[in-house]
Amino acid sequence: MNVTVYTTADCNMCKAAKEYLSANNIEFTEKDVSKSRIFATEMVRITGQRALPVIDIDGKFIIGYDQDKLEEALGL
Amino acid sequence: MTAKHGQVMKVEKTTMQVDLLIIGGGPAGLAAAIYAARAKINMVLLETKLPGGQLLDSYAIENYPGFESISGNDLAERMAAQAKKLGAVMERFSKIVSIHLEDGGKTVETKKIICKPRTVIICTGASPKKLPLENEPKFSGKGIHYCAVCDGIMYEGGVVGVVGGGNAALEDALYLTKFASKVIMIRRYDYFKGEKMMLDQVLSHPKIEVMYNSDLIDVEGDEFVSRALIKDTKTGDRKTIELNAVFGYIGTEPKTDLFKDYLRLTPDGYIMTDDLMQTNIQGVYAAGDVRKQPYRQITTAVADGTIAALTAEKYLQHHNV
Repeated sequence: MNVTVYTTADCNMCKAAKEYLSANNIEFTEKDVSKSRIFATEMVRITGQRALPVIDIDGKFIIGYDQDKLEEALGL
Repeated sequence: MTAKHGQVMKVEKTTMQVDLLIIGGGPAGLAAAIYAARAKINMVLLETKLPGGQLLDSYAIENYPGFESISGNDLAERMAAQAKKLGAVMERFSKIVSIHLEDGGKTVETKKIICKPRTVIICTGASPKKLPLENEPKFSGKGIHYCAVCDGIMYEGGVVGVVGGGNAALEDALYLTKFASKVIMIRRYDYFKGEKMMLDQVLSHPKIEVMYNSDLIDVEGDEFVSRALIKDTKTGDRKTIELNAVFGYIGTEPKTDLFKDYLRLTPDGYIMTDDLMQTNIQGVYAAGDVRKQPYRQITTAVADGTIAALTAEKYLQHHNV
């Protein structure tokens, strides 16, 4: 499973998403949009929107922290 | 037991008998947890996101006694660390799936546990009200936002609007100046309700413009928001202004859906309590932004959590079996 999380430093729901994944032993790649315009542009291009966090689970995007959707996408 | 990807595993639920269940880990819940832990009450706190609740939306808190300025994250971490150090048990990411509350018994079931508490303190807080715009569903996340600390970064160099008149609107307008080239406050009346000290900072900030007596009617754009329709509330005149996003701070809605079959609520959905945080069900209390009260601040939430924990403690002592 390939999981990527688009985040930014002050974003509390981004932190919640990362902690949720870690609590369930799911490895993920973090792309901090405040550190790279490339990440920001990439996120907008692939999701068509600008809200954070975005959790990409094998190409399925979850926008915002939504535990029900995360569980479904992760098969938990 | 670890589930393989795509495989659904049935997890045996743990049954917990506790004296106190606290639902929600914002400042009300964390204060209740601190007092309960110090009273050596057998308790558990459920939090599905991050300890801190709405505290986490505040970049700089400057009216909490003892701290001239502290970030919401830091204050939340301090509260949670203190509660944990005292022995408070926190169950994270365990969302409630069913609830049953009555004088004689309470059951709260999550995806992982079945909890049978003797007392419950509800501290589920509130979430932002959506802007009442026809295009809200179309542009949500695409120029309509409710969290500056989450999404403000995406508007670096842009022009953003802020709708609202209280502390949250003023605070986040100041926060957004970190990124935006211009922040336009779109204010329905000719005054603000927020703290005068923060208002002074807003009014003197070179990047912030204030439009008084202005109602945001809607937003427009192609794929993303590119303009806002404004109506002058005194003359009725309408105009269009160009901007890249609007952030809404027009109040909050209490998170009480779970309890509506059991607890007495106001027409707006807030839980009704007496001065001791007691609801209409014996042994069930509510604290913080979720309950009916005239003011909603971090200090009032902490006070509510304190009172609820002390009241629960007395109840447990009088109903010791």
